[in-house]
Amino acid sequence: MKRWTTSVVLGLVLLVAGASHAQTPADAALLQQILEAQDTSGRGASSVGTMVMRIRTSNWERALTLKVWSEGTTKTLVVIEAPAKEKGTATLKVDQNIWNYLPKVDRTVKIPGSMMSSSWMGSHLSNDDLVRESRFAEHFRCTFAEKPAGAQGRYVIDCIPKPNAPVVWGKVRIRARAEDKLAEEITYYDEKNALARTVAFSDFAVVAGRKMARVMRTRPADKPDEFTELQFVQMAFDVKHSEQTFTLQALKR
Amino acid sequence: MQTFRLAWRNIWRNKRRTSVTVAAMAVAVLVTTVYSSMVTGYLGNMERDALDLEVGAAEIFAAGYQDKPSVFTAMPDSAAVVRALDAQGIAASERLLAAGLASAGEASAGVTFRGLNVEQDARVLTIGRQVREGEWLDPADPRGVVVGSRLAKTLGVKVGSEIVMLGQATDGSIANELGVVRGILRSVGEATDRSGIFMTQDAFRGFMAYAGGAHQIIIQRQPQVTLELLEPRLEAVAPRHDVQTWRELMPMLGTMLDSTKGLMAFMSLIVNIAIAIVVLNAMLMAVFERIKEFGILKALGAGALDVLKLIYAESMMQVGLAVAAAAVLAVPSLWYLSVVGIDMGALAGVSAMGLSMGSSWQAVVTPATLITPVTMTVAVVTLAVLYPALKAALIEPVRAIHHT
Repeated sequence: MKRWTTSVVLGLVLLVAGASHAQTPADAALLQQILEAQDTSGRGASSVGTMVMRIRTSNWERALTLKVWSEGTTKTLVVIEAPAKEKGTATLKVDQNIWNYLPKVDRTVKIPGSMMSSSWMGSHLSNDDLVRESRFAEHFRCTFAEKPAGAQGRYVIDCIPKPNAPVVWGKVRIRARAEDKLAEEITYYDEKNALARTVAFSDFAVVAGRKMARVMRTRPADKPDEFTELQFVQMAFDVKHSEQTFTLQALKR
Repeated sequence: MQTFRLAWRNIWRNKRRTSVTVAAMAVAVLVTTVYSSMVTGYLGNMERDALDLEVGAAEIFAAGYQDKPSVFTAMPDSAAVVRALDAQGIAASERLLAAGLASAGEASAGVTFRGLNVEQDARVLTIGRQVREGEWLDPADPRGVVVGSRLAKTLGVKVGSEIVMLGQATDGSIANELGVVRGILRSVGEATDRSGIFMTQDAFRGFMAYAGGAHQIIIQRQPQVTLELLEPRLEAVAPRHDVQTWRELMPMLGTMLDSTKGLMAFMSLIVNIAIAIVVLNAMLMAVFERIKEFGILKALGAGALDVLKLIYAESMMQVGLAVAAAAVLAVPSLWYLSVVGIDMGALAGVSAMGLSMGSSWQAVVTPATLITPVTMTVAVVTLAVLYPALKAALIEPVRAIHHT
């Protein structure tokens, strides 16, 4: 009798566990495709573009015009073009290092490890956000939470970071559009599973031959009235950069 | 009067015993006096050093600042608060605070920028006199900054070096300024050593694009006013802000001072218990070998109270002699310890629990450090003599005369 109960319970447990992980090969391929779409959207092998960054906090609001150069995921150079007061202020990111160039004092400052979690240029993005190069396809274990009913529907995908992945989040939830598999919202949860921030994507369009969201708005969960919005004004992908682009000398120019 | 004459004669009937008893009492008074003066000096030094440097008697913050420090969490009326305190004779200093980054050459470190009014701050704190190299802030040198000792080491800067200072200005822009190291502090406390950058209030305002009130008001240490009296006065002046006494700001220091005081009382008690045993023994001997004599006294008409008075007079005379002897010895030693003090040598400047040790340890003589040991000795002797004195006072004359 006892053995019978045990085997039923065990069977049920296995059934439930199996169901939640049930993923057909077709599903896995689709999931992979959606994740890849997120990882490569707005990113090419290299790119150059102009963005407007709008920041609103409870104390001030401002907009910066940024010129951004990138190569792969490891090298990025951002130069502020407006407002005039900060024109020429630049950030260079190579691998895990960040330097800021400050034209007013004509000095380059390397951001120490202890300051990586502090705000980048007053925005709701941290220095860490610039450096951390996590890829959904590589660093997360993702599963479908919901699937769209039709072409206007949304995929909802829950991603849990793999052990040792360079990720600070406890969970990330992606809401992707069924039509083009691009995310319209990504929510980030901390290690205690509390909502930390929401990134909303909008203004989808074909830019330089790629479909992407042209507006990306990050909202911290603890300050719902604040946000940082990045708007892509102009983008070019797969551009050949000179070897000098991502150097400390270039940072000053 | 006759009792006293009799008592005086009695105590010298056994010179050796009296000398030993008086010596033991004198040592007790001397040891506890010197000990309590030294400990009082130590505690006072520690409190003064710790508080006068950076903490003050209390600090006032904008509500919520301490939980979540932000340049925007300030007290718009800080200047009025300082003026109101001034009117009550309480000096206070306004501090502007912001977190940021400092960098020199390849090195950089997270720092706290502290803007202060040089003149106002000097009335409240002694940090301006703790400069190891170079000089303290001068309003005439707006680019000059003073940095903490360990921060100077981390950044590899000397007096005259340039420091790039970075922060988040209140208008959202990147605050960045080039400061010139004007002075380097000696070790004053963990947080300042590691991350303190001091600048004038005007320099801070320019750097951070900041026009608001202070983030912190530091209240001068008030040696004559207890915290219990001071706190409500501060709260009355700044009712909407967060008033914190140094005991709340530095609970470790408070606990340490209290436990040292407790230890001091306990040590004195132990010394006095040892003395009590010596006195008890001596008085028991003195009483029992004179039982017959007390019997005769009582037979001649002396009452129990007279005998009690006699024995107590004898004890108190010995205490008096002991106190006199202790005073003769204590005066020069206390003078030396309070004026010259003990050189702390290698321990000077060592920082423990966020505090730095001073260079010498001096005794402090207060009425309490003198009166308490004497009172304690009198009390202990009174108790110790009680048993033999009662025994002698209550004995029946006939039995006493036949006592062998």
